[in-house]
Amino acid sequence: MTSTDQLPTPAVSIQGMQKFYGSFHALKNIDLTVEKGEKLVICGPSGSGKSTMIRCINRLEEHDGGRITVLGTELNDDVGNIDGIRREVGMVFQHFNLFPHMTVLENCVLAPMLVRKIPRAQAEAAAMRYLEKVRIPEQARKYPGQLSGGQQQRVAIARSLCMEPEILLFDEPTSALDPEMIAEVLDVMVSLASDGMTMICVTHEMGFARRVADRVIFMDAGEIVEMADPETFFGDPKNERTKKFLSQILGH
Amino acid sequence: MSNLWRNQKVRNLFLQGLFVAAVLLIVIGGWMNAQQTMQSQRMISGFGFLHKSTGWDVNFSLLPASANDPYWWFFVIGIVNTLFLGVLGLMLATFIGGLVGLARTSSNAMLQLLGRTYVDFFRNIPLILQVFFWYAFVTRLPSVRNAIEIGPMTLSSRGVYIPALNVGGWYLFAAALALVAAVVLPLWTRTTRRIDKPREERRGMVLAALFGSLALVLALLWLGRLPETPLIDVPQLQGLNMRGGLRVSPEFSALLIAIGIYGGAYIGEIVRGGFKAVGRGQTEAAHSLGLSPWQTFSRISLPLALRAMLPILANQYIWLIKATTMGIAIGFTDFFMIVAVTINQSGQTIEAIAILMAGFLAINLTIAAIFNRINKAIALKGNQLRS
Repeated sequence: MTSTDQLPTPAVSIQGMQKFYGSFHALKNIDLTVEKGEKLVICGPSGSGKSTMIRCINRLEEHDGGRITVLGTELNDDVGNIDGIRREVGMVFQHFNLFPHMTVLENCVLAPMLVRKIPRAQAEAAAMRYLEKVRIPEQARKYPGQLSGGQQQRVAIARSLCMEPEILLFDEPTSALDPEMIAEVLDVMVSLASDGMTMICVTHEMGFARRVADRVIFMDAGEIVEMADPETFFGDPKNERTKKFLSQILGH
Repeated sequence: MSNLWRNQKVRNLFLQGLFVAAVLLIVIGGWMNAQQTMQSQRMISGFGFLHKSTGWDVNFSLLPASANDPYWWFFVIGIVNTLFLGVLGLMLATFIGGLVGLARTSSNAMLQLLGRTYVDFFRNIPLILQVFFWYAFVTRLPSVRNAIEIGPMTLSSRGVYIPALNVGGWYLFAAALALVAAVVLPLWTRTTRRIDKPREERRGMVLAALFGSLALVLALLWLGRLPETPLIDVPQLQGLNMRGGLRVSPEFSALLIAIGIYGGAYIGEIVRGGFKAVGRGQTEAAHSLGLSPWQTFSRISLPLALRAMLPILANQYIWLIKATTMGIAIGFTDFFMIVAVTINQSGQTIEAIAILMAGFLAINLTIAAIFNRINKAIALKGNQLRS
């Protein structure tokens, strides 16, 4: 990783990124820079390419054009680069994607032990710290299937944190949850934000965006249509599509 | 009274009673009918014939056999033969099936095509045809004098000769059991929840279980070795015949190959289905955590796929064990063939068929019980799983 004193390396830098599914142009000419410590919220109608975009950042999807640089490392076909970036970029999924055959604690220590080669005792101690941070240390010996959705999502966040990533990606983390569980997950995300974590969140929780985001992005039809600080974004949106979207989701 | 009849529980009880009565009627009726018919034909029923000597011989036996042996000993021989063929056949089928299933789920188009062709071809030809084909194949190998030698193995039309151990029967049997333990014990030690120790720290215990069992195997072989012979008996051509070693009869080889290849096609599909059943979310999560492809496969995909496969695999194993009865078509003395010859020679049809059914029931219920136990032990906990 290269860094100079004058210009800090951005966490994520995307230039002219293209993504196709067959002939369908899913992402069109995306330019985006996320600084370290920044909190970015991405919203937009379904099918607008939000998830695809953040899934390109850790190579769960392959981009077809343009450049993606994560923490100074270019994301290309180099397996070493991909592994290196994945080590530093955690991801929280809509459906949690915990490993159902392992206990909560085993879920948390698996990657640190296998990828970072941390001894078990140390990995478990760290895992317990992060489970306390997401407020479920008492569930460490249970299996994912024995927890509620909100608890599972908090375990998933703890599992990502155990790798001590520089950047966390959230792909609609509350969309599969019951209303009372959304709050417990958002609380954890707010406290992470205040710790200075770089966060890129695809979410429709506009309250969270207002409270936490440094910038909000609106995407439609594979393009970034609007990008602004939350105050401007919600108070004075420029684009017609943004206005329509906001009126639809804030209307009732 | 009409009120009573409208009561759901009373109705269910009445129907149950009716059903049991009908079943009893059929069984008792059948029994009485059989008794009457046998009496009128002056046939003697009962299991007394088990202690008479058979007067005929078997062409393949792992246990000592002669025409003077009683019927019950022949049934034991039959069951052991069926189990021997069945277990080896299942192992071969599982090995082939694993390769085929992995090929079909791989990202390599060539491997996918190969796997698919294999399944399409071997799954769609009746098993009996494949048995006949392989029997024709192995009996048309070169004669003993021109036999094909592959390492210490010799392939000929009279059978496949492999090196044998000069070890007494019971010691050999015990050593075989110890060898099974050498596989099962380390696995159990590695995975059980009964040992209160994290899995990484069990390496010592796993190695102890492995090497302990292997040492036991060697010790048993050493103790049971026959005096004044080398421990390993390599087959050699002497004159017109092979001396030493163990002859694997063409009948056995043909059945083993047929069951392995045919079963492999089915198991390949089960393996493929198992891997398809693993949610994409789990592998994506593993990738996003930085796990390598091998780590993702061995820690996430395989354990989850196995859980999806096991119930169907048990079904397939039971099916394949029953497929050993194809032995009668080419003259391999499996359990079914021994029962069939017994019926022919002794006339004790009902008894022999009862023994046949009991034997296969015992084998297959054991397989089912083992698999249920494993299933239960590794079942995913909780009911709140999504995706």
